[in-house]
Amino acid sequence: MPQDLILEMKGIYKSFPGVKVFDGFDFDLRKGEIHCICGENGAGKSTLIKILSGAYTPDSGEIYFDGKKTDIINPRVAMQTGIQTIYQEHTLFPLLSVYENLYTGNELEKGIILNKATMVSKSKEILEYLHSDISPYDIVGRLGSGGQKTVEIARGLLQESRVIILDEPTSSFSQTEITHLLNILKKLAQSGLSIIYISHHIEEVFKIADRVTIIRDGLKISTYDLKDLTEQQLIIDMVGRDVSLFYQRQKAEIGEVVFEAKNLSGNGVGDASFTVRRGELIGIAGMVGSGRTELAEILFGYKRTTSGEISIKGKKTNVKTPLNAISNKMCFITEDRQATGLFLKHAMDKNIPIASYSQTPGPFAMPGNDVKLTQKYIDLLNINTPSVFQLVMFLSGGNQQKVVLGKWFATDADIFIFDEPTRGIDVGAKEEIYKIMVELLQAGKAIIMVSSDMPELIAMSDKVMVMREGSMVAELYKDEINEENILKYSIGGSMR
Amino acid sequence: MRSNNSLKRVSRSENLSIFLVLLIIIAAVILVEFFLVRSMDITKVAFVKPMNIANVLLQVSITGILALSMTLIMISGGIDLSIGQMMCFLGTGMAFLIKTAGWNEWGVAALTLIVAIGFQLIMGLIISRTKIEAFIVSLGFLSIYKGFTYLITNGREITIEGRFTFLGKTYLNITPAFRIAFPVIMWIALTVIVWFLLKYTKFGRRVYAVGGNENAAYLAGINVKNFKLLLYGINGLFIALATMAQLSRLGTGNPLMGEGKEIEVIAAVVVGGTALAGGKGNAWGTFIGVLMLGIISNALNIIGVNPHWQYVTRGALIILAVSLTYISSQRAASVSLNERERRPLI
Repeated sequence: MPQDLILEMKGIYKSFPGVKVFDGFDFDLRKGEIHCICGENGAGKSTLIKILSGAYTPDSGEIYFDGKKTDIINPRVAMQTGIQTIYQEHTLFPLLSVYENLYTGNELEKGIILNKATMVSKSKEILEYLHSDISPYDIVGRLGSGGQKTVEIARGLLQESRVIILDEPTSSFSQTEITHLLNILKKLAQSGLSIIYISHHIEEVFKIADRVTIIRDGLKISTYDLKDLTEQQLIIDMVGRDVSLFYQRQKAEIGEVVFEAKNLSGNGVGDASFTVRRGELIGIAGMVGSGRTELAEILFGYKRTTSGEISIKGKKTNVKTPLNAISNKMCFITEDRQATGLFLKHAMDKNIPIASYSQTPGPFAMPGNDVKLTQKYIDLLNINTPSVFQLVMFLSGGNQQKVVLGKWFATDADIFIFDEPTRGIDVGAKEEIYKIMVELLQAGKAIIMVSSDMPELIAMSDKVMVMREGSMVAELYKDEINEENILKYSIGGSMR
Repeated sequence: MRSNNSLKRVSRSENLSIFLVLLIIIAAVILVEFFLVRSMDITKVAFVKPMNIANVLLQVSITGILALSMTLIMISGGIDLSIGQMMCFLGTGMAFLIKTAGWNEWGVAALTLIVAIGFQLIMGLIISRTKIEAFIVSLGFLSIYKGFTYLITNGREITIEGRFTFLGKTYLNITPAFRIAFPVIMWIALTVIVWFLLKYTKFGRRVYAVGGNENAAYLAGINVKNFKLLLYGINGLFIALATMAQLSRLGTGNPLMGEGKEIEVIAAVVVGGTALAGGKGNAWGTFIGVLMLGIISNALNIIGVNPHWQYVTRGALIILAVSLTYISSQRAASVSLNERERRPLI
């Protein structure tokens, strides 16, 4: 092992039931370098972070820290070893002051009382070192995103970390905050600290990195010194998937426009316009956090629009609540089925009919009819369950997703919004969901599909809209729909 | 389809364990009285006397009515701590208007309905339109009602001297010794209505849906805010009915007439199998829970337990009953889990 390596990972394997995430992953990090990691959604970036921060333990493989073999079995060990992870979401206590946040868990004491004076003066030193004008007494919740990120970095320094991992640190940053953060990081690297930097934003990567590692499907594809890397090469390495992974879907006849969005804004989405036709599936692509889910939410009235209009079947329609959307024959299969799709503690016959109640006449809901309706969708969607009285929490992920589908099929919808339709579902169940989607298209329904799964987007979509930072940046048809194009527009860069 | 049947049984028998606990308690009461108190002479066992049974039913009927609307609110994920003090406020207010101001008693009853529903709607508006916990909002209203009560009464009770007796003093005479009071009939009728609403109407399904997963319920087209508002309105109606029955029975507006009722009611609802977290519960479970707590109090009196020890015993029995139902529901869940492991579900 060369002397200048601080961290080395060799042959890391990690799998979850049904999915192999890391299949012999290698990685090394030099002292005092900024090492950027690039990869598509789901390439294994977050698994890498979780292994290094002790949230996951690898199934096999070795990790060397400063030349010594280390087992990072939990987050505490990771921190003691000297690895500090700064997650995308803030992990600070918003109601406490900066110095209290910096010392939480490692408070300095004088006898049995807190040594406030020393904590404050040391906090001040570190903040000054970071060229920050934050005071130790400021309340963290009142700082902006950039300020909070600075406090998290300060906390890492205070604990004498030697490796700092930053996951998408600049989401929701202003341009000056980004510049400030990148300058701080460069300065820290010069002082000998090693930084792993994960970002979707190609311009940040090219501004800051010493080396860049590209991962795909849980494998390291390549590592470059920044001077040897071009944007073109970066994208080629990020894509390039085996064609046999692609699902072959059947065609459906595309008819008249049934859904039209004009200049929709709100909920973090800016000025989105598009149309969907009968029998057409439009894919919404983009990196995580690019505003795809937020768009789906305003289409369905789950969140409010601030401007713009929606027309359904040629009629201008005001979709202010999900109830409006359902009455207009829309439905929304959300990204997180457990949080927003299912009633986990309730049986299937209490889940499937619930959305249809607003569309059927009369105040009654006879259990017999509900059981019949539930049984109908169990048969139609081939849901594997011992009975209609099974509690939904005891079903597998794929079957739970089908319960969500059943709930919406029962409303007899025409416009389907799918957000990550196959997340956390194994391959067999995935194909079944695709088949169901194609059947919907053939029956003349329209589908808007938000997805992070590249093969899924490419195989299923008639048209792909790419989003970046809340705006639609590209509209791709037929032959233009390929990984390189989608990725190129998703991460920005200068090629537009 | 053996597993099919066993699962059906699990889902149909959600009140079975609490019902068994009730039977065990009744048996225990009879045995204790038989062996320890009445020296093995069954004819002297006071607990099984018709008069005593009618008495227990009457004693618990007011709590029972309040517990029904509390069940709706708790299944939907809310709670209302103000019901006891609201009862004091409404009851003394009614007595004041009937006695001191000399108003027509049925007019006062109608006004009480309006006031109760109105105040509950105000509380429901605050709870459903803000993110403030129902616990805190209703705690605030508890204090407000208590203040109103003392402003009206100055701490003294107001007797209504033989007026407004219909609700509390009308009986259905089955035998001379076994007379069922009107509040009991009201309680049973309302239980049937709430059971029907929960089981056979869209309204009922929505109660469970809102408590089971509020976001999913909203996305399924339920106007969650207005729905919660409706539930608090219904709660107002039930509190008004319970208050009228209580006032009519006591014949006096006592500033302590509803004191501590919220604890009694919530205990009964939870004993009856409603989850504090929402999404689970039913009318008959609550019915049994109310009955059980009533029987425990009554039995401790009959057996002659020192009143101070009664609190301790009652508390311990409540915890025991809830533990037993919890254990049995855990067992039911693990049965379904095993079934899942045995069956390959994609």
